[in-house]
Amino acid sequence: MYRKLSLLLLGLSAALWLSILIPITGAQDSNQDIYGRALPADAAPYEMQVWTQLCDSTRTETSLSSVVTVYQRICGDAHTFDKFGDSLVDLDENLDLIPGAAERWEPSADGLSWTFYLRPGQVWSDGTPLTAADYVASYRFMVDPANAYDFVWMWQGTILNWSEAVAGEVTPEEIGMEAVDDLTLRVFTNGPRPYLPGTLYFWPPLQAKALAEHGPDYVLDPALSVSSGPFILKEFVAGDRVILEANPTYNGYRQPFLRELRGLYGDQLNGSFLAFQNGDVDRVNYVHISLADFEVIAGDEVLSANYRPNFGDFRTDYLFFDTYTAPFDNLQVRQAFARALDREAIVANVIGPQFGIPAYSFLAPGFPASDTAGALKQYQMYDCPAAQALLAEAGYPGGEGFPDLELKLRGESEAREQWWIASAASISDCLGVNISVNNMEFSAFMEGLLARPTTVQFGAVSYGMDYLDPSNMLGVWVSTGRHSWRNPEFDRLVEEANVLVGDPAERLAMYQTAEQILVEDVGGIFLVHRIQGDLFQPFIAGDCFRPDRQGVSALHWGNDWCWGSFYITDGVMAADTYRNR
Amino acid sequence: MTTPAAGGPAVLPRRSPWGDAARRFSRNRLAMFGLILLLCLGFIALFADVLAPYEVGQAFRTQRAYLRPFINPDHPLGLDGAGRDYLTRLIYGARTSLLVGLSVPLISFLIGVPLGALSGYRGGWIDFVIQRLVDVATAIPPLLFALFLLSVVGSGVENVIFVLAITGWIEPLRLTRAQFLAYREKDFVLSARALGATDLRIIAGHILPNAISPLLISFTFAVPLAIFAEAGLSFLGIGITEPTASWGKMVGSGIGSSVLVYYHVALFPTLLVAFTMLGFSFVGDGLQEALDPNRSR
Amino acid sequence: MTGYILRRLLALLFVMLVVSVIVFVLMNAVPGGPFSLGERGYTPDALANLERKYGLDKPLVERYWNFLSGALQLDFGYSFAVAGSPPVTEVILRAWPVTLHIGLYTIMLSFTLGILMGIVAAYRRNTWIDNLVTFTATLGITLPSFIIATFLLILFGFQNGWGDNPREWIIPPLFPGTAPLLATDYFLPVFTYALAPLALVARYTRASVADALSADYVRTARAKGLTDRRIMFRHVLRNALIPMVTVLLPQIPNLLTGSLFIEVVYGIPGLGKFFVTSITNRDYPMIMGLVLLVAFLWGITYLITDILYTLIDPRVRLTGRGSA
Repeated sequence: MYRKLSLLLLGLSAALWLSILIPITGAQDSNQDIYGRALPADAAPYEMQVWTQLCDSTRTETSLSSVVTVYQRICGDAHTFDKFGDSLVDLDENLDLIPGAAERWEPSADGLSWTFYLRPGQVWSDGTPLTAADYVASYRFMVDPANAYDFVWMWQGTILNWSEAVAGEVTPEEIGMEAVDDLTLRVFTNGPRPYLPGTLYFWPPLQAKALAEHGPDYVLDPALSVSSGPFILKEFVAGDRVILEANPTYNGYRQPFLRELRGLYGDQLNGSFLAFQNGDVDRVNYVHISLADFEVIAGDEVLSANYRPNFGDFRTDYLFFDTYTAPFDNLQVRQAFARALDREAIVANVIGPQFGIPAYSFLAPGFPASDTAGALKQYQMYDCPAAQALLAEAGYPGGEGFPDLELKLRGESEAREQWWIASAASISDCLGVNISVNNMEFSAFMEGLLARPTTVQFGAVSYGMDYLDPSNMLGVWVSTGRHSWRNPEFDRLVEEANVLVGDPAERLAMYQTAEQILVEDVGGIFLVHRIQGDLFQPFIAGDCFRPDRQGVSALHWGNDWCWGSFYITDGVMAADTYRNR
Repeated sequence: MTTPAAGGPAVLPRRSPWGDAARRFSRNRLAMFGLILLLCLGFIALFADVLAPYEVGQAFRTQRAYLRPFINPDHPLGLDGAGRDYLTRLIYGARTSLLVGLSVPLISFLIGVPLGALSGYRGGWIDFVIQRLVDVATAIPPLLFALFLLSVVGSGVENVIFVLAITGWIEPLRLTRAQFLAYREKDFVLSARALGATDLRIIAGHILPNAISPLLISFTFAVPLAIFAEAGLSFLGIGITEPTASWGKMVGSGIGSSVLVYYHVALFPTLLVAFTMLGFSFVGDGLQEALDPNRSR
Repeated sequence: MTGYILRRLLALLFVMLVVSVIVFVLMNAVPGGPFSLGERGYTPDALANLERKYGLDKPLVERYWNFLSGALQLDFGYSFAVAGSPPVTEVILRAWPVTLHIGLYTIMLSFTLGILMGIVAAYRRNTWIDNLVTFTATLGITLPSFIIATFLLILFGFQNGWGDNPREWIIPPLFPGTAPLLATDYFLPVFTYALAPLALVARYTRASVADALSADYVRTARAKGLTDRRIMFRHVLRNALIPMVTVLLPQIPNLLTGSLFIEVVYGIPGLGKFFVTSITNRDYPMIMGLVLLVAFLWGITYLITDILYTLIDPRVRLTGRGSA
């Protein structure tokens, strides 16, 4: 019965594929996209230029637009489906700013404002021209207290009157952002903010007209949805599928070869690699690739050639404490813990060298101001005897009298829970301290972490950048940030460096000193800088994979231009791809 | 789950009823097999600290995590994802899982059976009140209830048992009540009552033994369900905290695409849960037949 | 009888009220909220805006009162967690039919097959058939559905776009206009979902039928020379029904409200996953809507169960008065 069924299914799927393949192979001579461009020579027929990803059925998802929400974006962890406009700026593969919707931008002489010049001729799919007013309307929407945007922190203290508008003291119209004319947008800042353009990278605009007429949910309805970006909404069924198709009126900097982007819902965490192996999805993010999957990848020439590692958002995983109360108010205790963590062994054997490098500081190598020379390594290096001595000096020889600890995790995946179990075991082994590991629910953990006084005495968490500047990464460690660790000198250095203009070298040096304080004073114990990556089907190609300065050839964090370069090669029709197996 | 064997519907001339039952039970090969299985598991659970080659939380971080079984003689069943000896984890897991798997149904039956008996036997307003209580309790999703309670009392084995037990008493209650509804007007009950037997004696001595077989089955099903319910809670971050080992959680951590590559992670605990379940089924069947000889053909 | 049913329905309303109060209080006491997902936390102003947006700035009693007055008109508010913030009733009306469809097929499959297996096993006790049934039943309950689903996925693959136009069927539709029972899209979820209830049904049927078979009245009937089939329908099945109804009927609300694992693994846009995700995502209006739906379903199921008892065994009286 079972055997017959699988044979039947096999036959059915073969018939299905044949019926798709036959009519297409005939029409290959005129292989053009909707913009009239010829597809690359090795491209599969235009009909087959469809990209599919798996979305998570269990998340809260409220909008397709980053202007409405960041944490609750639909199929949102990769920012793939917010394609209804171009952000003002984009990043190239070296993470340097490149023009997006704005063709150029410049600061004022006093450094207190930035002017962005939109490329002329950009239009919405309904024929309305794209203007600076659309951007202004989008940012006003975000700051409006009534919309309670979940990413307002991004410009608090940066854009003039932003915080005041969030507090309801001034109206959203009064924020420091104005449309000088249709193509000119000016942003006023609280002081000199050299990193401002980089913070505007994330946000394709909403259309001011549609927003006023239908409210922000127009982006969810194919009948109302308009787009000034490379794709337009074709179909959306919450929790089932989201389908975008190429926007024929788009004339921006990333016209797509892909005909459709599809997001299908399923078990993203456990099912992504299975779906990939069945040829159902075209890309799997490293977060959804387990060590076991990686053994399969490493043992397969084609797969390992198409796993493309990169530094992603420079994410670091670390342990932290409540340093306001005993026992972690004692620096020696923190130092003892830091030196009891055997990162090298854990990264080599539990995390896997392909997924990370041992971390001795917060900023991952390659990030601005990061410790590329390894000067900070000395402070938290694994040294069990030294750790034991420190703990004894602190009054807990051999761990005696030390309270039992609970290491709290933030809803980590099965794989990452193992990292922390191994880390806790490393510290317990060396110091004789009892540590249990409690993988909490995400929201309960965050509520406990952010409470003052915090209810997370000892925890583990990760952070990755939102924009490429140390002000972003180190900002989580200032005393008003998310951790219960305070160092006045650190606060001063970070706050002063944040607003320093004119001397980039001095600015970086201040951040470096600040990070040294963080490491030396053991605000956190740093375990691993993640190496991120994506597994692509072998028939995915594009200029996106050109090597960057370090020779990394991958889809980088923030490379939105890539979506204009991806295409499906004729390799998709080869018999030995997962799709056809 | 011991109930007096006395007083079946047909009052047979009897020698020692307990001796008879034991003799019948020991002659039942499947039942004896189940009993031995359970005794073995119980032995492992009791003497976990003696039997296990390593400490439960000890991680061997200098070796590759997920070492497969039968490669390194130091770790015959391999390592788990954090580099801990899997044999040790399985042995300690027996302790946690049997504790949860046994005490949860036991507590819920201790609550559910008397209430169900009372409800079914007495009827009237007692029945009405108990039934509305059941309605309320069933209507509250167990997960929500568990989430709330555990966030108040904190994670840990005892708390998980407590939470699962107080969401699990409804099934035995309803089962018992239905049996009592069916039996309370049967001839043997009516005649016992006519002979002046007390309610307690009728409930415990006459009806309960007849109602035992669905209860036994329900109990055997409740054991693996409790083991997996505990895993589900751990999965949501509100269950048993590491480094305590539990089979349910170990099964859960071996699923997904890794099930073929690191097969040992899901395979061994699944087998152990299956053995436990089989053991309880066989013993349950055996008990039922031993206690009520009329039923064996 | 009518009076009894009316009384029970009134009691059901009361139960739903009690349940709604309990759950409302519990739900708000659990740490975390619908928006506490930010990486960096919020300034007090931003936090106040969020609380206002979700209506959490009002006192608990006022919020409950708003909920209750809405609920009386079947308006449970707007979902926090579903795109476009649709009304809870709309989410339920959209997602439930999908789950119902799978649930109904699951019930049909598991109950017919399970009862058949149970009867056969009871009639052929201690033979290889009996052992096979016991073995299958054990397997069905010890192999959690997520393991079965994983293996099925490895064998058959993820379903690319679920339920659009149910692909080629193996068994034709049971009702005109509905999806075929064993379309490739439906087969895997139904099969996965049916294993556990199948095990339960088979096991209980076997036990109840075996009990009934060995009872005095069956022996008497045999002695009277009644045919096997007559005995089976007149005596055995009838008496085996009580425990079966008790155990098996309550499976039905569970099956009709779906399962997280099945729906997530197979990418089915059904209602089942909301029973977990609305809690983990703190979708308060959705939680309340679902809880009341479940309370109602259970209440009705129990009522039907109790009525069935009287039909099966006329000596069972509904009021229970004057019995003791």
